[in-house]
This record gives sequence, C-alpha cells and structure tokens, in this order.
Amino acid sequence: MSMDTYPITVGRVTRHVPLVETLPGVRIPLIELMGDVELVNAAAEALLKHLPPETDYLLTMETSPIVLAHAMSEMSGKPYVVVRRRRRPYMQDPIIQEVQSLTLGVSETLWLDSRMAEKLLGQNVSLVVDVVSSGGTIMALEKVAIRAGAKVVARLAAFHQGTNKLPVTFLSEIPILQTA
Amino acid sequence: MKTYPVNIAGVKRELPVVQVGPGVAVALLNLLGDTELVEAAAQALAEKLPAEVETLITPEVKAVPLAHALSRLTGKPYVVARKTEKPYMINPVTRTVISITTGKPQLLVLDGTDVPLVRGKKVAIVDDVVSTGSTLKGLRELIEDVGGQMSAVLAVFTEGTPRDDVVALGHLPLFEPER
Repeated sequence: MSMDTYPITVGRVTRHVPLVETLPGVRIPLIELMGDVELVNAAAEALLKHLPPETDYLLTMETSPIVLAHAMSEMSGKPYVVVRRRRRPYMQDPIIQEVQSLTLGVSETLWLDSRMAEKLLGQNVSLVVDVVSSGGTIMALEKVAIRAGAKVVARLAAFHQGTNKLPVTFLSEIPILQTA
Repeated sequence: MKTYPVNIAGVKRELPVVQVGPGVAVALLNLLGDTELVEAAAQALAEKLPAEVETLITPEVKAVPLAHALSRLTGKPYVVARKTEKPYMINPVTRTVISITTGKPQLLVLDGTDVPLVRGKKVAIVDDVVSTGSTLKGLRELIEDVGGQMSAVLAVFTEGTPRDDVVALGHLPLFEPER
C-alpha cells in the first residue's frame, strides 16, 4: 500500500497525514485528533477565538472530537456534554436522533441520556466537531441540542471538506483529491 | 435515585448507582464532559506515573480525555485502543475481551501506525475504572503482542475486589440492585 501523505496545518502545527482512497480514484487526507495532544491544543486554541462569549455549554459527540471539546473546555472553563453513538445500559429516556448520511448511505443513531440533556435546557450551546463533510452528523447534533431545549449559537469544526454550504466555522479545508 | 459519594483528588462527586445486569449495580463514573474531574485525576495520576513509562495506552472511549490530559501533563505520548477496526487502519492488531458493563465480547484494536509507540517500549495502561480486569488483560496482550512491555496500570478507580496491581485514586464497591 502506498503511503503518500498530505500536509495539514493548524496554527503552528503541521502534520503530514496519510492519504486514504475512499472511492476508486478519490483520495482524502486522514486526520486523527486522538493521540495528538499538540494538534488538539492548536485546534482548540484557534477555535476558542470563534467561541461566542454567551456560550454556556460545548456539545460534541463520540469519538474523535471528544479530546477537542475537552481541551476547549479546559482552556475556556466552559463545560461540555458528549452525545454518544451507542445506547449505553444506564441511559434513561434518552434523546434518540437518526443521522441522515447521503454520502455513506448508512444510517447512524445518536443518543443523549436524559440526565445530560437536562443540563442543556435553556442554555446557549456551541457545537464542536472535528470535521464537517456531508454535514449530516453536525445537523443531527444540532437537532439533539434543539430537542434538549438548547439554543445553538455556533457550529465549530476543526476541518471542513467538500462542497456543502453549511454555516460552519472551521480552521482548515481538507481537499478531496482526484487521481488521474 | 441512589448515589455514591466519592472524592477524587479533592473533587467531590455523587455517582449515580445504576443496574448494569441481573443482580449487579455499579457506581457510574462518567469522565466525558467532566473537565474538572479529569484534570484533577490526571494531575494526581501524573505524580504517581513511574518515570520509566514511555507510552500511555487507553481503551476507547471514556478514558480518552484522561489519557489526553495525562499526556499533556507528562509529555508522554498516548495511543487509543479502538473498539472497532476502521477501514483505513494499516495492519491492525486485535484482541477480544468480555466487558463487565455490557457482558458482551468487546474488540480491542491497535492501529498498525501506532505500533512504533508500543514496540520495545515500557507502556502504562490508563483507564477510568478497573473492575474484573478483562480490558486490562486484553490490553496487556495487545502490548505484548507487538513487543511492548506493560509496566504500570493507572486508573481513577478500582472496583469490586480490591487489587494492588493498579495505581488508583480510589476504590468503588459493587452494589445490590434496588428492589
């Protein structure tokens, strides 16, 4: 397998990340935040500049963006809530939200325990994700926030990819590379 | 709802006691979203981390913020053992363990690109709660499989039977379910 890489820069941090073939002839740089403290901290610092001061809670989801939300929380003092991608045995009366994923053609489900959802009622929430691609996931996350009674005041992503026109604040564009 | 009071490195929490199977209830520690608790626990565990440790390894997903904070405080890199094989992984190494919270087989996967951080290294396992030790055993086998050496286990809590092979900040009992 070829291990071509592509440079991705956030602030002063550059990573030469592997290119993976997602479809025949289509390759995308694969970025992993988990395990990379330096990259996460750079992204957290940069995203916090766009965090509306009226934000009460950060809202993120499993798995990779958790460390980003934790770092932003640690730096800003704002608490965060994690929406799960699987039902946990202890959940009571959870909010269950389907993800519409046109590109992958698979359905996914988000879960938020009612005890977590209660914290968001009447609060200003900023969504935090690692990458916005088709937008299906962050739109589902927004629906969870609204169903919990929160007001979404910002949509923050470390990376953006593709042609979607969603109103998202992001740090770096990830290209979709077509091989001849 | 029944709760169990804990004091973790000076941070007090009332953990909900929840039934996870027939005849078993546990005090539920949730590190996800609890920045104050994670940072306090990471600080306390950083002071107990053996100096010889070169790499931290943590199972997805609840202990990931703890490993991130511990890595930031100590400068030691961390790797995440995933619960599923991802299509982009290169030469992944896997182990199957039985989870106490779900009772189901659980896969542990190390991406081949993380192997250089483990092979020939002294590795510390970082987890939120060590209970039966099944995850621990699986992680240890993963580490040894790729030529690393498990030199310490750090956790916020041990649970059930007390054990002295884990550096922990406290101990949780198991509970009878409420009738």
